[in-house]
Amino acid sequence: MPDAVLLGAALLCTELGMGWLALAMDVHWKQLHAANPRSRVAARLRVLGGSALVASLAFCLAADSATMAVLVWMMLLAVSAVTIAFVLSIRPRLLAPLAAVGRLKPSSLP
Amino acid sequence: MATTTQSSWHVLSRVGAGILGSYLFTWGFIALGATSLLAAGLEFHEATDLVSMLGLLIFLTAFCYAFIAASLARVWLVLAGGGALMTLAGWWLSRSLA
Amino acid sequence: MFANFRLSLTWLHTWFGLVLGFVLMVAFFFGSMSVFDREIDRWSLPQTRIAAQPMPSFDQVLAARLAAMTAPDPDQLELAAGRVTQPLPARLKVTTWSAFTTHRDPVLDLFVGFKVPHSKVPDDQIFAEVTIDPRNGRVLPRDQLPLGSGFFYPMHFSLNITWHDIGYWIVGFAAMAMLAAIVSGIVMHRKIFREFFTFRPERNLLRSTLDLHNLTGVVALPFHFLWALSGLIIFAGIYFPVIDKMMHPLIEAHEREEATHTGLALGPSGRPGTLASVDAMMAAAKAHWASLSVPGEVGFLVVSHVGNSNAYVSIYRDSTDRVATAEGLHFDGTTGRVLFEDPPVGPVATVSGFLQGMHLQQFKHWTLRWLIFTGGLLSCVCIATGFIFFVEKRKRAHASAGHAGARWADALAVTTVTGMVVATLLVLVVNRALPEDLAQRDLWQKSAFWLAWLATLVHAAWRSTALREARMSKAWPEQCGAIALLAAAAVVLNAITTGDHLGRTLSAGYWPVAGVDLTLLVCAGVATVAARKLHRRARSCAVAAGSGAADLERESARA
Repeated sequence: MPDAVLLGAALLCTELGMGWLALAMDVHWKQLHAANPRSRVAARLRVLGGSALVASLAFCLAADSATMAVLVWMMLLAVSAVTIAFVLSIRPRLLAPLAAVGRLKPSSLP
Repeated sequence: MATTTQSSWHVLSRVGAGILGSYLFTWGFIALGATSLLAAGLEFHEATDLVSMLGLLIFLTAFCYAFIAASLARVWLVLAGGGALMTLAGWWLSRSLA
Repeated sequence: MFANFRLSLTWLHTWFGLVLGFVLMVAFFFGSMSVFDREIDRWSLPQTRIAAQPMPSFDQVLAARLAAMTAPDPDQLELAAGRVTQPLPARLKVTTWSAFTTHRDPVLDLFVGFKVPHSKVPDDQIFAEVTIDPRNGRVLPRDQLPLGSGFFYPMHFSLNITWHDIGYWIVGFAAMAMLAAIVSGIVMHRKIFREFFTFRPERNLLRSTLDLHNLTGVVALPFHFLWALSGLIIFAGIYFPVIDKMMHPLIEAHEREEATHTGLALGPSGRPGTLASVDAMMAAAKAHWASLSVPGEVGFLVVSHVGNSNAYVSIYRDSTDRVATAEGLHFDGTTGRVLFEDPPVGPVATVSGFLQGMHLQQFKHWTLRWLIFTGGLLSCVCIATGFIFFVEKRKRAHASAGHAGARWADALAVTTVTGMVVATLLVLVVNRALPEDLAQRDLWQKSAFWLAWLATLVHAAWRSTALREARMSKAWPEQCGAIALLAAAAVVLNAITTGDHLGRTLSAGYWPVAGVDLTLLVCAGVATVAARKLHRRARSCAVAAGSGAADLERESARA
């Protein structure tokens, strides 16, 4: 797979990961919903977020040697965190699909 | 912000200790550290590079310590005094190595 | 210093952050520019807008050019004359020949080292340097200033102040202050995890500025820390020359031991010798790397003990695929056989090599390069918002008490944030506007830069009188407007003077120039939007100050 595709996937994963981790926090969940998230939903969002960040690292390692991959990943984390922060302050509705995934019942997840 | 107003002299002395004291302390750390590691048999560049990198972190620690510690006199003693002692020890050890 | 350690570290963060912040803005802004230094070089020197070239033939092209460099740089010679115990001879002995190129360079740098005899500094060497077109060996004139690698790059690590290396020390101290600011910032920021994604632009200026300062500071924290630390590691020999100054016999003993173990002579033999085919050595090196599954081009080549029977040639791979730079292969100068291959480095050298390589970025990875560039700009935002927060917090109190502190902090902040960008864009404009054959073109450009920056300081100082009434200085939006105009002008002038407008560079895929032009256009766009918003804020600030907005005061007290 060409590097551009792998790195694109890595970026997408860090954006999703940061988005899920943000929504797991009460203050940001409440930007989209009326009440605080249920503890199970928040836990699920944290797992999703963490997994997405790990997946991103895997994509980075597939594209480059280990030392370069770690650097790329570290910078992707920073850029994604800033992006999500700006999305949350300007158009938080954009993260609604991510919140929806977090609310899915366990039986409907693969 | 401050609960006690510090005299200008005190502030100057803290800043001096932070910069000069930390520099002397780091110099001594590198002198003693490098010669100790060389005496222990480490390869030349491994020893000097390691001590030099750690030295930068030591400077940072000493710098913050200069402002956090309650007693300014103790700060000068530890940083400048400790630095001078380590420098002397390192220099003396290097004489026996060369 | 204060009642508790959090207060002491807050004091440290505020005051060292403010004072050294001005230096750090320069280091991080021009550091970001340096990520694309070669590309800016191509933009500023149209005659070098060719494709990147590999190291050319040494025997056919480089040998003659190097042999013709018989005198060191006159400025370095003058400084050396001040370091010697006996008068310098008419001709200095040549010690080394080197050539350096990377995968991004269409031109090649050649260096010749000369031994300075009777010097107070041990192993004193000075250099001559030329830049050549590797396709034909033609030398580029001395007064052609490559704005990227020759101006912005040294600006970021030495402020272009070379007098007794004082610029290196100022930047070094600022880097250390940055590390202290990061540590103290973490201690101060109580809600570091809870406010990880927090940015509230709709709140008052003080709150939203602090939010942005915390956001950019925390999310890119590893970047800020590692780049400041690695910069210090690169120049650690300048800042802490402990072994060199106090224990030089140890260095000499190690060098002697290494010379016997590697077979690479320490000093010239004094007997003349002829250099074997270096091209054959380069071919052998490339074959060797290919056999180790790390094929590559020659990046760096050094001939030591030039003209002597014990000369040796060191060849290093252009390490495009890894972060640290590559190990070298050393050949006997007269016979061309391999003398020594650098072994894989030990654990400490691996860490040090990684950190330095990460900072110097000779690897080939455009995504990572852009990410690092973005990181540098995030650092600039962090520092700039720090200034704005400092001023905003004290503006009202200083205005009513008649202090000038906030006013001057604001004026200096404008100068180092927008003023620095104005000066940078102006030098790009001047670069294109000046006649190509103007003598001392480099001096004209450098002078234009410094004068422009000084002008922005004067402008900022004049406009900061608004802070006497706790209003916003109009210098911010006015300099943003200047940025927009200059950025656009630079793109237009490039098109007019060289014909390489975006239509041509994009269709030809010549990214160095297209990339700079596109970035300039984005800069112009952002600056226009910023100028409009800031003009509006300045006007509403004037209205609010007039009516004495008490709610603003309440908000700032809570922050």
